[in-house]
Amino acid sequence: MTAAAQALSGLRDALGADAVQGPEAPPGSGAASLPRLEPRDAPALARAVAALHAQGLAALVRGGGTRQGLGNPLRPCAALLSTLGLAGVHEFEPGEGVCRVGAGTPLAALRARVNAGGWELPLDAPGRGSTVGGALAAAAIGPRALGFGAPRDQVLGLDVVLGDGVLAKCGGRVVKNVTGYDLAKLYTGSLGTLGVIAAAWLRLRPLPERSLVLEAGAPDAAGACARGLAAARRATARAAAVVLPAQGPARLVVELAGAEPAVLRDAEELADEAAFAAVDVAALDRVRRLQGDAPSAGGLRFRLWLLPSRMAQAAARIVAAGGSLLLYPGLAQGFARFEPAAGAAPDAAFAAIAEAARLGAGGHWVEEAPAAVRAGRDAFGDAAATASLARALKARFDPAGVLNPGRAAGGA
Amino acid sequence: MSRLVAELRSVLGPEGCLSRPEELFAYECDGLTLHTARPSAVAFPRGRDEVQAVVRACRAHGVPFVARGAGTGLSGGAIALDGGVVIECSRMNRILALDPADRFAVVEPGVVNQELSRVALPYGLFYAPDPSSQLVCTIGGNVAENSGGPHTLKYGATTNHVLGLELVLPDASVVALGGPTGFAAGYDLVGAVVGGEGTLGVVTSATLRLSPLPEQVETLLAIFPDVVSACRTVSGIIERGLVPAALEIVDQRTIRAVEASVYAAGLPTDAGAVLLVELDGPAIALPPQVARIRELAAAAGALRVEVARDAAERQRFWRARKGAFGAMGRLAPDLYVHDAVVPRSRLPEVIERVCAIGDRHGLVLSNVFHAGDGNLHPNISFDRRDPGELERVMAAGEEILRACIEAGGAISGEHGIGTEKRDFMGLLFSDDDLAAMRRLRAAFDPDGVCNPGKIFPTTRFCAESNPKARGYDRVPFA
Repeated sequence: MTAAAQALSGLRDALGADAVQGPEAPPGSGAASLPRLEPRDAPALARAVAALHAQGLAALVRGGGTRQGLGNPLRPCAALLSTLGLAGVHEFEPGEGVCRVGAGTPLAALRARVNAGGWELPLDAPGRGSTVGGALAAAAIGPRALGFGAPRDQVLGLDVVLGDGVLAKCGGRVVKNVTGYDLAKLYTGSLGTLGVIAAAWLRLRPLPERSLVLEAGAPDAAGACARGLAAARRATARAAAVVLPAQGPARLVVELAGAEPAVLRDAEELADEAAFAAVDVAALDRVRRLQGDAPSAGGLRFRLWLLPSRMAQAAARIVAAGGSLLLYPGLAQGFARFEPAAGAAPDAAFAAIAEAARLGAGGHWVEEAPAAVRAGRDAFGDAAATASLARALKARFDPAGVLNPGRAAGGA
Repeated sequence: MSRLVAELRSVLGPEGCLSRPEELFAYECDGLTLHTARPSAVAFPRGRDEVQAVVRACRAHGVPFVARGAGTGLSGGAIALDGGVVIECSRMNRILALDPADRFAVVEPGVVNQELSRVALPYGLFYAPDPSSQLVCTIGGNVAENSGGPHTLKYGATTNHVLGLELVLPDASVVALGGPTGFAAGYDLVGAVVGGEGTLGVVTSATLRLSPLPEQVETLLAIFPDVVSACRTVSGIIERGLVPAALEIVDQRTIRAVEASVYAAGLPTDAGAVLLVELDGPAIALPPQVARIRELAAAAGALRVEVARDAAERQRFWRARKGAFGAMGRLAPDLYVHDAVVPRSRLPEVIERVCAIGDRHGLVLSNVFHAGDGNLHPNISFDRRDPGELERVMAAGEEILRACIEAGGAISGEHGIGTEKRDFMGLLFSDDDLAAMRRLRAAFDPDGVCNPGKIFPTTRFCAESNPKARGYDRVPFA
């Protein structure tokens, strides 16, 4: 019996034949070649992880599968653990502005549900089919993070299955809470390497009275960054993006949201100062696609953190190396992409990114890169300083290395 | 111990370490005076390297340690159990950097909360978290407790404003987490350490986000016949998606205490409660919001609503709120400042229950709280010298926590668990939930030497029925 067949039969013995689907494709073709576990509720998820842990089997943990390039390369896995079965809005309280939702719930479905109740979902990461659990595990932002805050700040509580199958909750449903450690911060952005998020209590935001998307051109990158930051610092700014293509003129996309008179006043002043003009809200979806779409085969994509005042300088270094950028100046973040057609060698691209991060007093994460160029490069940049803490956490939360082995910083 | 003290003096200088019993007395408790523990020594390091040396010395002598800021905490977080050494951070009080362009500051842990806002003011910036003790409490303590304050409602608690930390870990190594952009090379360790109650290491510097001052502020004071109608107004404001900067309720007993004190603000002492509403943002957007709040208050039964005409009047409104704890000191020798949190929509019913619990135990219970966050502060005035009174306070305190949990709440909104509530953690969390938290602790502090005895339950089962099991029998009587 092959290792894969052994894993399949072992898991079926432990969890029942119905709980484990056979591989959809022959071995060697990636995730589709793995036995698939898709538990329907948190206790079933806990049983599945406990069985993997007991049998010493590693699992690829996956939500909507829209961000599989994040993190370091996975070590071989014996099973695919999907959270898509954990879908559903368990509680939504319009009087309270909070909801409890299963990790496998698509962001789009949750957004539609809470919008209908008068609330805004403060997560707008790109990616068709992106799930709540996946967006949190990846700490994935979208342009509206300027107004919403980071994903970690939307999480009130989590139910998480740790690497040995223990189901543990942290936080709760209330908006202010210091009862015990804030483990939700640790799980958010941990790429499923410390635990699998089963459900989340999220804080919602009121739907704005008025919102307006504006666009403007900019003379050059430095001017675009300065205008983008000024726009981002307007009282009603909910999104502010600077688009710096590898070739062609810079562009700005800004969304204002809030009380109508304030939105209209900001729009008017932006029109006067930098020739911003109102456009359809679809402009914001184009920004999300620019952020989230995968580069062509062999291409690279990075998430960057850069001080706003140094963004232009850092960006110039990346553009000079053949990269293009999408910057969110108000968030001190951005995304860089290198298309193979632009002719940049991966080594030069990585060097430009490292230099930009240094100039910007920030750092970078690799979001997309071919396996060949990942070797010897940590996907989280310089992770050496915190490597021993990261290893200690991995050893405690996932002692047998079941969950997304290899993916965390330093290869934990 | 004398060898450890000698070693600490050699590093910190003769003035840098206290060890005589009369010197240690002031460090026996923090703002929670019910819990006391005498440290074996108090060390006053002047910077990161000296903190490192202190931790190294403590480890070499097998002595635990706890960092302490201004000692204003209300959950016993800053007391040294097991004869530990207090690492007092008041000599580490420098603002190391202030960057108005990128809106952040780097500060040492002993910097006083309000001092940072004062220094940032000329740049049109401020540090948003504003605990009631902000005139004296320090950033290190705020980071440990993830402190909140009235403006948490709009601006978030400390954790939403910490971009980076430098930390001396329990093994005496130094690690830098995060930074001015908020970048983390992997796990969000800053997020894990904030609110860690000083059990994960000793913070030696913090990189903090500075926020722009709002263009305009409007402060309203709504007078109600009773506290329940004030709570109903708060629930209505939240339900309609309004986000004031602050929503604070002060009840009648507190109003009367304030009006009889130096904090007197001219509040009507016959009012059942007042609701303080602060709105901030673009000037053009505020008048309609003020009108809506007036309507909601009137609909819930407000007797009248005043709007502050100028900064002086705004300060007068706030004086009643911020002076409340000081004024309560007039009522009785002891004050137990409780802290719990419930969903905002449940406030009216929970506040009634809380008051009934106080009445049933024959206690003087008053309420002054962050209503917009659902963060209750039932304050019980008492005299520990009266036989049986402390037991009744504790029994009522526990019933209040149970009532809040039943309503979907939690047992601390901003004061932390410390020693105060460690044995109530089991009311909210399962053994597995707590074990997950212990895994975090163990990754940072496998030997349990950094602020031991906090957060985690000690005597879980007996504690639920027997107050003495929580250590109150050791409270020294005045």
